[in-house]
Amino acid sequence: MASGYDRALSVFSPDGHVFQVEYALEAVKRGTCAVAVKGTDPESQVVVLGCEKRSALKLQDTRITPSKISMVDTHVCLAFAGLNADARILVDKARLEAQSHRLTVEDPVSVEYITKYVAGVQQRYTQSGGVRPFGISTLIVGFDPGSKEARLYQTEPSGIYSAWKANAIGRSSKTVREFLERNHKDSMTRDETIELTIKSLLEVVQTGAKNIEIAIMAPGKTVEMLPGEDIEKIVEKINSEKDAQAEASASRRGGQRAAAGDAAASAQGPEQVLAQRPAGEGSGAPPE
Amino acid sequence: MSRRYDSRTTIFSPEGRLYQVEYALEAISHAGTALGILATDGIVLAAERKVTSKLLEQDTSAEKLYILNDNMITAVAGMTADANILINYARQAAQRYLLTYNADIPCEQLVRRLCDLKQGYTQHGGLRPFGVSFIYAGWDNQRQFQLYQSNPSGNYTGWKATSVGANNASAQSLLKQDYNEECNLKQACELAVKVLSKTMDSTKLSSEKIEFATVGRTEKGTIYHHLWSPDEIDALLKEHGLAKQDEEPEPSSGGDPAAGVAVH
Amino acid sequence: MYVMEVLLGITGKDFTIIAASKAAMRGASILKVNDDKTRPLNKHTLMAYSGEAGDTVQFAEYVQANVQLYSMRNSTDLTPYETASFVRSELAKSLRSRSPYTVNLLLGGYDPIKDQPQLYWIDYLASCANVPYAAHGYAQYYCLSILDKHHHPDISFEQGMKILRMCTDELKRRLPIDFKGVIVKVVTKDGVREEPYEDDKQVLAP
Repeated sequence: MASGYDRALSVFSPDGHVFQVEYALEAVKRGTCAVAVKGTDPESQVVVLGCEKRSALKLQDTRITPSKISMVDTHVCLAFAGLNADARILVDKARLEAQSHRLTVEDPVSVEYITKYVAGVQQRYTQSGGVRPFGISTLIVGFDPGSKEARLYQTEPSGIYSAWKANAIGRSSKTVREFLERNHKDSMTRDETIELTIKSLLEVVQTGAKNIEIAIMAPGKTVEMLPGEDIEKIVEKINSEKDAQAEASASRRGGQRAAAGDAAASAQGPEQVLAQRPAGEGSGAPPE
Repeated sequence: MSRRYDSRTTIFSPEGRLYQVEYALEAISHAGTALGILATDGIVLAAERKVTSKLLEQDTSAEKLYILNDNMITAVAGMTADANILINYARQAAQRYLLTYNADIPCEQLVRRLCDLKQGYTQHGGLRPFGVSFIYAGWDNQRQFQLYQSNPSGNYTGWKATSVGANNASAQSLLKQDYNEECNLKQACELAVKVLSKTMDSTKLSSEKIEFATVGRTEKGTIYHHLWSPDEIDALLKEHGLAKQDEEPEPSSGGDPAAGVAVH
Repeated sequence: MYVMEVLLGITGKDFTIIAASKAAMRGASILKVNDDKTRPLNKHTLMAYSGEAGDTVQFAEYVQANVQLYSMRNSTDLTPYETASFVRSELAKSLRSRSPYTVNLLLGGYDPIKDQPQLYWIDYLASCANVPYAAHGYAQYYCLSILDKHHHPDISFEQGMKILRMCTDELKRRLPIDFKGVIVKVVTKDGVREEPYEDDKQVLAP
């Protein structure tokens, strides 16, 4: 086990681990879930970010809710999982770099460039003296200036970065990633992409629309935050489809109540339908 | 088990936690309670000050409440020495902003500056985190009156009513019970003393044991902040029947023995 | 020769007009006839500059990058007043450095909180004044008198453009060089837009 090699901030243990980096990944896993999905419809590509949002306490000021989704520049959007305060610092560094890049080369950054920069900063914090790594993973999405091709990258505390069609970070990200692997299709339309994002988030978010945040990026446009009602509608649709499916499979096993069950399910609100579903891994974690 | 990861600087434990930060939070949970309440026309901050000796000069120095800026005040819970560093930093940041932009720094930005500094102490330099939580009350023309709270990790949140320090759980549940979004500053002050009287060790309050400050708007529409004088606090306590009884006779009379017991 | 460069600013009821000459000059030669001496800083602020070639663009881009960085960091824009204060303080810093910028500026904007147009006159010595109308260079001598006579805080956009036409006509009549017409931009509560402007009309000196 770890014996002393995890004390000094970032050195190799005899079996080749840098423990602080591995422990930082644990901090990421304790963070709320974030999902990103590319929709590569040849007509118009989009990329969608979805985040699990802790519900505000009664006395919290809802005007001031630090979001997990932040803009690095007008065409690059970042979502993170892990330590909030660390993310603030890292995002700020990225924003500074994005504007500095505009000033020096008169062009906005490409998504890959800024990803490389963010990952580079994270790497530096795994190798410099007297610092601990950033306890965050990030999903960076957007469109390069003048390009219509959606971009999606992930960075990790170690400083690794990689490009994805769809990915998830944070709490239960493995479950969500597996779900995405099963359900992701090439050339999805905007609506399909949004729906898949929400569907995958629902794998870990049991409380439904009110705890989901969705951001959509399209070429040449600023970010669009999907209004709560729209998320609600999609969640409702997903749930009624799921229930219909469940009913159908139940009736195939011999029950004759499919029609009645269907009607009942669609009459119920999204909250009720959600409550019926079994709580999965990591559900019902009380907001702090 | 945790021993090994908590000795020197702030580093991750195998579960991905930062023990130093959690211990700093622990330190704060022993400090005197501080609370803030947002009203429609202002904000009140109130704090319990732990009187350690009768010889301590009472009225010259505020211990829990500080002015950061023309539009912002703060309440402190935790290590006062650490707080002084941070408050100094915040005051300088606010003045620097004023120098550059000729306008008061927006509240959230000042809070964020301070929190960025706090975050730095959890990540590099072989330093321990700051052992202080703050409640901030301020006004700016984007969001009007605002109330924030920050802790040693460098996280901050916005609140309508909040508390930090010892007994903050019970203070918070009292606030949750009695807070009314439509309340005005006067009602907020009343709620503040009520909550403090219930969460503090001694049943009877006095200006020696609590500090009070408000941010509000004058009749002309300008924003003011005001750290209350002992007389004003006593008047408020008397109004709500929470004052110490020995306040009525002249102070030389020694007071009733019960009050003496409460101070220890 | 930057005193020959024309910068004009006119505020009205709900707009600020900024006009800048299109000639890029070096000495007595004109290098370019469609130069844009303005930069949008954020949604509601536009900066026009004249001065030492090189200094102008360098300084303008520096200011632009910083104002945009502020917007990204704080998810809110600086107001025109705050922007002007920032620009002024940067110029003042530069003035006392080893190599100061020689840049004159007009900062036109619209304050969405106070709901009114704003115009700031800033020169290379870092003086800054909030004014209803302004000009830099020789244009001051020809245009301020016209603006003094015809300007009123409540003028409509059409009236503002009419006064601008009087100014540019006078400049064409009196300035010893051809400044190749002006680029005209307007800031309103909806942001910055370019206004088409007829430059070809010949104006003869009396």
